[in-house]
This record gives sequence, structure tokens and C-alpha cells, in this order.
Amino acid sequence: MPFRLEKRQEPSRFMVYATPVAAVLLTMIVGAIIFTLIGYNGIGAVREIFLTPLTNSYKWQDLGVKAAPLIIIGVGLSIAYRANVWNIGAEGQYVMGGLAGTWVALATYNMTGPWILPAMILAGVLGGALYAAIPAFFKVRFNVNEILTSLMLTYASVQLIYYLIRLPWKDPMGMGFPQTRLFAEAARLPTIIPGTIVHLGVPIAILVAVLAWFIMSRSVFGYQMKVVGAAPHAARYGGFSENKTIWLAMLVSGALAGLAGVLEVAGPFQRMVPGFPTNYGFTAIIVAFLGRLNPLGVIFAGIVMAITFVGGEVAQTTIGLPNAATGIFQAMVLFFLLAGDILVRYRIRRVQAAVGTA
Amino acid sequence: MEILIPIVITLVGAATPILLAALGELVVEKAGVLNLGVEGMMLVGAIAGFAAQFYTGNPYFALLIGACAGAATSLIFGFLTLSLSANQTATGLALTIFGTGFSALAGAPFSARPIELMRPLFPAELATHPVWRVVFGYSAPVYFSFFMVFAIWYFLKKTRGGLILRAVGENDLSAHSIGYSVKGVRYAAVVFGGAMAGIAGACFPLLLTPQWAERMTAGRGWIAVALVVFASWKPFRLLAGAYLFGLVMTMELYAKAGGGPLSVIPSELWAALPYLATIIVLVLISIRRDASTNAPACLGKPFLPSN
Amino acid sequence: MPHRLELIGITKRFPGVLANDNVSFSVRPGEIHALLGENGAGKSTLVKMIYGIMQPDSGEIRWDGQPVQIANPKAARKLGIGMVFQHFSLFEALTVLENIALGMDSKIPSRELESRIRDVMSTYGLLLDPHRTVATLSVGERQRIEIVRALLLDPKLLIMDEPTSVLTPQEVEQLFEVLRKLAAQGCSILYISHKLHEIKALCDTATILRGGKLVDTCDPKAETSRSMAEKMIGAGLKDIVRAPGRSLGQPKLVISRLSTTKTGHFEVPVDNVSFTVRTGEIFGIAGVAGNGQNALLDALSGEIRSDDKDAITIDGYPLGLLDTTGRRKRGLCAVPEERNGHAAVADFSLSDNSILTARDRLGMVMLGLINSGAAKTYTGKVIADFAVKALGPASTAGSLSGGNLQKYIMGREILQKPSVLVVSQPTWGVDAGAAAAIHQALVDLASAGSAIVVISQDLDELRALCDTMAVINMGRLSPARPVGEVSVEEIGLLMGGVHGSTEAHDAVPA
Repeated sequence: MPFRLEKRQEPSRFMVYATPVAAVLLTMIVGAIIFTLIGYNGIGAVREIFLTPLTNSYKWQDLGVKAAPLIIIGVGLSIAYRANVWNIGAEGQYVMGGLAGTWVALATYNMTGPWILPAMILAGVLGGALYAAIPAFFKVRFNVNEILTSLMLTYASVQLIYYLIRLPWKDPMGMGFPQTRLFAEAARLPTIIPGTIVHLGVPIAILVAVLAWFIMSRSVFGYQMKVVGAAPHAARYGGFSENKTIWLAMLVSGALAGLAGVLEVAGPFQRMVPGFPTNYGFTAIIVAFLGRLNPLGVIFAGIVMAITFVGGEVAQTTIGLPNAATGIFQAMVLFFLLAGDILVRYRIRRVQAAVGTA
Repeated sequence: MEILIPIVITLVGAATPILLAALGELVVEKAGVLNLGVEGMMLVGAIAGFAAQFYTGNPYFALLIGACAGAATSLIFGFLTLSLSANQTATGLALTIFGTGFSALAGAPFSARPIELMRPLFPAELATHPVWRVVFGYSAPVYFSFFMVFAIWYFLKKTRGGLILRAVGENDLSAHSIGYSVKGVRYAAVVFGGAMAGIAGACFPLLLTPQWAERMTAGRGWIAVALVVFASWKPFRLLAGAYLFGLVMTMELYAKAGGGPLSVIPSELWAALPYLATIIVLVLISIRRDASTNAPACLGKPFLPSN
Repeated sequence: MPHRLELIGITKRFPGVLANDNVSFSVRPGEIHALLGENGAGKSTLVKMIYGIMQPDSGEIRWDGQPVQIANPKAARKLGIGMVFQHFSLFEALTVLENIALGMDSKIPSRELESRIRDVMSTYGLLLDPHRTVATLSVGERQRIEIVRALLLDPKLLIMDEPTSVLTPQEVEQLFEVLRKLAAQGCSILYISHKLHEIKALCDTATILRGGKLVDTCDPKAETSRSMAEKMIGAGLKDIVRAPGRSLGQPKLVISRLSTTKTGHFEVPVDNVSFTVRTGEIFGIAGVAGNGQNALLDALSGEIRSDDKDAITIDGYPLGLLDTTGRRKRGLCAVPEERNGHAAVADFSLSDNSILTARDRLGMVMLGLINSGAAKTYTGKVIADFAVKALGPASTAGSLSGGNLQKYIMGREILQKPSVLVVSQPTWGVDAGAAAAIHQALVDLASAGSAIVVISQDLDELRALCDTMAVINMGRLSPARPVGEVSVEEIGLLMGGVHGSTEAHDAVPA
């Protein structure tokens, strides 16, 4: 064997930041090869998915709108995963946030006032947090694996949408379509750049990420999340309760997923439809990892994943690449990232080479 | 009495894929590895099995192809977590995302092109009377799942190979220091789990709905993972758990078909019921305090020998 | 007659360390050969190469005069090399029989295996129930499984890696009987230890390693413990300096009827423990591992809270209901046995590790925000005052050697000037230089007026360090006695669970 792995004395900070970039680049190269091999225009696919959204300025607003929910959810997940709390059900919490916001929007349909939108957002945040409280409670009280419960609740939440828009919330003028009525003006998220689709959710996403970064790096709360995740036994010795941390991590990540949900329903959708669950909650898992569980990194990772979403749509129309290809590219990014993780703690050494060995 | 017979038959059909996938995951977890990518491997197995049946019309070949596809997918997981010591939870999730995307891409050309369902294993003459159908009326994967429940129990409990596998899952460092190949055993277990998940996935188009539909496994892979916990890593309890879920899903089918007292409850609640039942079952099993003590001690932890 | 085992010029290099540097020695048939050295001297690496777990970079191993390549442990066992590990390679959830079967290279029907196990046990006087689950066995019984497993292979060389660190003195004597019997039958024994009196009592020859190099091969019976220790450590030994004319003051830490509930499956809880530690006193708690020491430390540190506020008091102030943070604020600091993952977080910088326990006592937190500058300054002071070998406060805890990390952890607690310090295994796995520094720091802290509790399995350490001693067995604590008034035999019997002086007399072997 010409190479071997050698443990580094200290984890490499360079590799922590270099591997996500390398993962994206490798995905582009390997993706082009694989898609060519299975009979698609591989180079075209990579160009359309990864580059067109960046070079075509008309697509930038799409990027912002797609990146915002990914960043907001990704920030919440990055906090939870730091604490070793595996909230996989962000999609469900996102749905519940959207439903809670929809409920406020429908209840205030005949009212106006600047308080409606904040009330919707508050409801969305609470909706997401409360839905995340279920796995938190079961985890803390009965030690039930939060991965399974939060995921199962996601499947259930989608059925709840179907039920609500089929019966109680159905648009009376909707010609039988299962969807709610269009929200009133006061319940719609304003756009911030006139003439574009860029809505208030975009600056909120950046604000959330920066705030989370400050809290995670400077506060006792952030320290608590990190120490419980890195060494629960040491955390208890240091005076941090593991149960309290599970609660906090779940509620924060659920609240942010709920926030993303209500911003989506009040912004791009402006009504609740069956297609509301758009996989943002699952893609945000990749975003959190690609951002190295660092809220500032999550901003960049959210943009990268938004690029693949927007680019996937482009590739679908221009070169006829099925939409599912986007998912494969996203999974490949995560595979390469996880594979590259080993370079943070180990270095590759040539066994024969005598040059430069310590 | 007579009306129970079709219910039992539907129940067994719905439970079999979950049972097969869960049996595979049980062996993987007994070796100390937590592969959360069951859903992804099932989807890859489902599309591979579907395509094989579509082109050859030989369901046994289709099951074999499903097994191979599941095993091949599991090798990605094995390489990342065993050779590169990547985080098992994250890698399992990535595998599910990958399987979902891959099956959707590969399945796109097959939409709205039905295949033939797999026929029962025994000749129809044996199952003329309704009661005999409960015994002889199933296709081969059902009998295979019965056999595997027993075979896996026997392997784990009675054979040296099973003892070594359990030892690796209990204490990987000790197994390594005695001289067993921890990685070798775990690779074998992961590939076995992948093959079982692949067969389980192929059962969806071959046994249940003979059409390709994206995400047709609908979270059953996750339910299989939950069942392993529910069954306290014991094969025969897995059988009971899978049939419990088969019953819940059968009720959903009957409610959707309309009529009877079941349709009073909204169909969406029936559709959500398997997932809610999973949560309830996990909570109930966790209330019994000794449940988790049967978990393999090294479950989900990377193997990092000091040399 | 050729040597059973001969090592010629064995060298093994790890990144940044030369673990073994040109080591040569040999073992005759039937010889009990000691391999002596401090932690990190290269003993473990050397035996791992003999047992085939690692391969030497250069050098030759000869077996019965023939050069051999030992590719893996299986090959070692085939040659007739058996090994009993320091950290047992046992599977807690499996039975004794299953554990032994796993150690066999060929498949033996379980009935036949069981009868062979019973033969070996009766030959050597090792008692075990083959159908018990390992989790239910004591440490001494677990070691017996390892020994039986090795003996079933009829070894010609048995390697024992620090076998007595977990045994009571009486169990040690029983083990020595077994080893002498084996040697008399021609089996060579390679006995790894740093306990000098054991080596003098048991071994025919001693090979001493220091820093990966062979220092000397000698006859331990002809040496004094001190002369061997000096060869092992390489410099004159430093004795603990005590302030002259020291006297113990008022009761400071008072524990009364402290109990914990059984949490984990295999954990022994604390059962109705009471003791008093006075100002300036070092109170030692001896005991075999797994007798409730971990629960006792957690109950004292506050990781396990009591439901009786008066179960723990400092200067009369009740602490029983407080958590670790609350107790630290009242002056009670603790150091658990496990360094990585309990006392410190391996992936965190030393500076961040200081925040773990010192944030409140030293004002590193303001309005929920962390003052990382204060943490860094304090960490720098710990590194300087305790001579911690680290690049600086930004080094991760995981990058430090065991001894240096322990010095950092002890320093982190001691510089907070706690009025009560509870430490478990303060020098476990630490080299002699660092151990001496830690002992001195504890004595100095006591002289400054703190009350100190030391939980340790090392009797020599406790006898050198403490004013008062008690023994913990199955979660119960024996009455405390001044160190000068209690003999090793008495402590040994207490460690084995024999209480009361009359019983003790009856149980002493003639």
C-alpha cells in the first residue's frame, strides 16, 4: 500500500474549511463523469446546475428566495447537531410553522393591520417549536430516539396538510382544488426589492445566521450546546444538564424551521397547497453539515444548495435532465464531505517517501 | 370468519417488506453498526427490481437484482463509515437522500408502465379453500421472510459466526485485540443488510403495487429501523412487530377503499397512523426500562483502534 | 537448550515518537521475566509486537531459536504465546463460556470446551461459573477468565500486562501461586509491571525500559526497590515535602449517610457513607475498581444530587441539593478518574476546558457571554504553574499526553483555591515525574487549609499521601483510621469485603 493514514496531533483547521469546498468541486467532476456514463449530457448538467444560476443574473433572485429557508432551517439544525441532538424532522416542523401561519392568516382574513404578519410569524415559530417539543419530550422522558420520532412526525404533518386543505380550510372559490384561499394583502410577506420576488425572508435569514453565530461562539448557551455534544459526561461535570440541552436544541431548531415555514407560506406561496413540503427541511440537513455546523458557514452552504435547486430547474428545461438529478448531486456533496472528514483528523502519508517525515 | 381471510392475506403482504428490511438491519446493528439508510437502499432495490421485472418478467431474477442493488448501495455506506470512519448517522441520512434521488431518476422512464405482480409460490389447487389460502396463498418472499426469521435467530444464537458478530457489536476493541477482523465482520453485516433492504424494496412493485411511483416505500424503511428497537434486537419479536404494522396498514387500505365503520375517521389520519403507531410503540418499549440494555454496546460508534 | 523467546534489536517508530529503540533481551523456558518501566516507556508496544498486534520496523524475534514473523495474534497463539491484557478484552453481555470460545482459534463443541475449562480450573485452583454473564463478575473473576482462556491453549509463553493493578493484595498472592505453578511446568512468563515489590517477590529476571530504550537486565532479588526505581525513572526520586509541625484543624467536609441509587446496569451505588475531613487533612479512600468509587465521586461533585441537603456539608453549610455549579461556588471542586470525556473535552482547547469548571469561580461569564480573554489568561497560568507541556492555551486537550493533561486538570482545579477538593485516581497512567508534582501540589493545597479527599486504587500512593484512610467495598465505606495505624493486610481484607478485626484475623492465610 503506497499510502497510509496517520493521525494528526491537532485536528486540521485548514481541512475543516477546505473539505466542503473540495466536496463541491469533486461532486461537479464526478457528477459530470457519472451522468455522461449513464447517457446524459454530463458536462452540460454540471454547467447548468452549478454555474448557470451564478452567471445568469436573472436567476439571482431565485437563489435568494431558495437560500433563505435553507439557511434559516440549516442554522437551527447546526445548533442542534452541535449538541448531538439529531433533529431529522425539520421538514415536519417547517410544515407546522407554515400551517400555524396559515391558521392566523385565515382567521384574520377579513381584518387588516400591520400586526397580522408578526402574529403569523409568531404562530409559525411556536408551531415549529411545539412540534419539535414532541420528540424532545419523548427523548428526555423515555429516552426515545429523536431521529425516528421527529422523522415519523414529518410524515404525519404532511397528512395534516392534506386533511386541512381538503376539508376545513378548503378555498370555497377554489373550484374543488385542495388548497386554501389566497392570503389577504396584510398576511403576505412584502418584497424588499421592487420588481423582484426577493421578500423579507432573505434579510431575516442573514440576520438569523449572524445572530446565531454570535450566540454560538460567545455565549454560555453556545458553549453548553458544544460541550454537551462533544462530551456529555464532561458537560454534566461542568454543570450543564443534558436534558435541558436536548430541550433547548430541539426547541430552537424547531422554532427556526417553523419560522422558515411561515415565511415560505406568507412569501412565495401566499396560500397553503399540497405541494408546500418542498424538502427544504431535508436539504437543510446537508446545508448544516456543508456549513460545518457553523452559522456563518451555513449561509454559504445554503447558497450552494440553492444553486443546485435553481440549476436543477434550469437543467430540466434546457437539457431535459430529470429533476431528481438535483437530489443525486446534493447527496454526492454530502458523501464527499463525509468522506473528506477523515482528512481533518488524519493526514495521508506515502509509506516509502522518506522526505519530510517528522 | 371468512372476511378475516383477505385481511390476513393483505396484512402479511404489507408486513413482509418491513420484516425483511428490519431483519437485515437487525444483523447490521448486532454487529455494532447503525445504518439509517434503509429507506434509501429499499428505494434503490425497488427500482432495480422493478426494472428487472419490466425487462425479463422473471420475478425471482427481479428479487435477485433488487438484492444486488441494495447490497451495492450499502457498500457506499460501508466504505464511508467503516473504511473512512465517517459519522454513521449522517452517512445513513445521506444514503437515504441518495437513494431517493437515484430511484426517482432511474424510475422516470418507467412511470405509467405497469409490470406483472409476483404469483403465489404454491399451485392454486392447494389454495382453493379460503382457509388454505392463509397458508399456501403467498408468493415466495413471504416464505423467505419466515425462513430468515428462523435462520437469523439460529445464526446469532447458535453458530460461531453469530457469536463473533455479536462480539464485534459488543466490544469492537476487544474483538480486534483477540484477532478478529472488525471491519471484515461489519462489512459483511452491512452488505447483508443492504441485500435484505434491496429485496424488501423490490417487494413493493412485485407484491404490492405493480407500478413505479417515486418514494413508493413511503417511510417503511424508517419504520423497519424503529421495529428493530421495538423488538429489542430479537428476530421473533421482529416478526410480531412487523405483523402489528401490517395490521395498521391493512386498516388504512380498508378505510381508503371506503365503506364500513373505518371511514368515519378521515383517510389522512389512517395514512398517518403507521407513523404515529411507530412513535407510540417506541415510547411504550422505552418505558420498560430493560429494553435498551439489550442494545449492542458499540451501536453507532466508529471503530478506532489505536494502531 | 535455546531461549524460548529472543528479541534482537527491535525498533518501532510512531509519528513523533520512537517507542522502542533497538531493544534486545531473551526469556528462558520456565523463567518468570519482568518487563519493568514507567508508563510510556514502551512496554506495551514491545509486547504487542511479540503478540503480533503490531509489527516491528526493524529487528528480529526468535522463537525456540528460530527467527519468526508474527503476523497477527492468531499466529502468536499458534506458536504458543498467550496474553492476558491489562484492559480485559472481554464482552460484558456474553457468558464466560462464550467469551472463552471467542478466544479459541478453532471451533470446539461447547460441551467439550466446558469440560476442558473445568479441567484447567481445577488444576490451577481458578474458580468460575462458565454460564455466568461477564457483566455480573468482579474484576478479579474477569481476570481469571482471561487467564483460563490463555491456559487452554497450553502456552509456552504467557504475557501478563499489569495484571495486579485491579486486584486486592490477597488476590495478587493467589495469582502469584498460579504463575509459579505454571513456571514450574516449563511455561515462560513475561510479567509487565511497574510495581517493584511484586517483581522482587515473583520474578527471576527483570528487563528495565526507559523512554523506549533498554536500560538494564538484572536479577530483581539482588536489587533494592529503590535502585530499580532509579533505573526506571532515570533520576533520583523526589520525596513528598510536608510542612513541618502540621496539625489538622476543625471538621470542614462532613458527609453523613450519603447514598445513591443504582443507575447503570453495571454501576455499584454508594450505600450510606459517612466520613469527616478536617481542615488540612488528606483523606484517602482505597478500594478495588468497581466498588462504587465512580458513584461516590459523582455524589460528592454534584453530578448526582442527594435528596438530603445535610448529606454533604462544608463548614456546616448544606450542599446536598446543589448541582456541580452550586457546589463549586461553595468551594467544592472535584476531579473524576476519566480524563478524556469527563474531566476534559478532548476536542476543545485548554482555554475552553478551563471555562468548563472555572467559569463561575473566576468570573469568566458576564450577562451570559463568555470572557474568553479571562479564560486564556487563567489557562496560561495553569500551564506555567504546573509545568504542563503544551503549546499554549489554544492546544486541544486531546493533543496532550496523559500525564500533561492530568497536570493541567489538577492545576485547573487547585488554582481555583477550593476549600474542598475531591480527586479520583490523581496519578493513574501518569509518569513518575508528573505524579510527584501532583502529589506535592495536593500536599501544598492541604497545608494551605483545604480539605482533600483522594480516591485511589494505588495503596502505595494513598499510604504516602494521606493522613487518614478508609476502604470502599460494594459501595460501603469502612471506618476511617489514621494511616500509620493500619497495615496493608488489614486494608487488603477490607478491600476484599472482610470487615471487623476478628474476621480479619481468621481470614489471614496461615
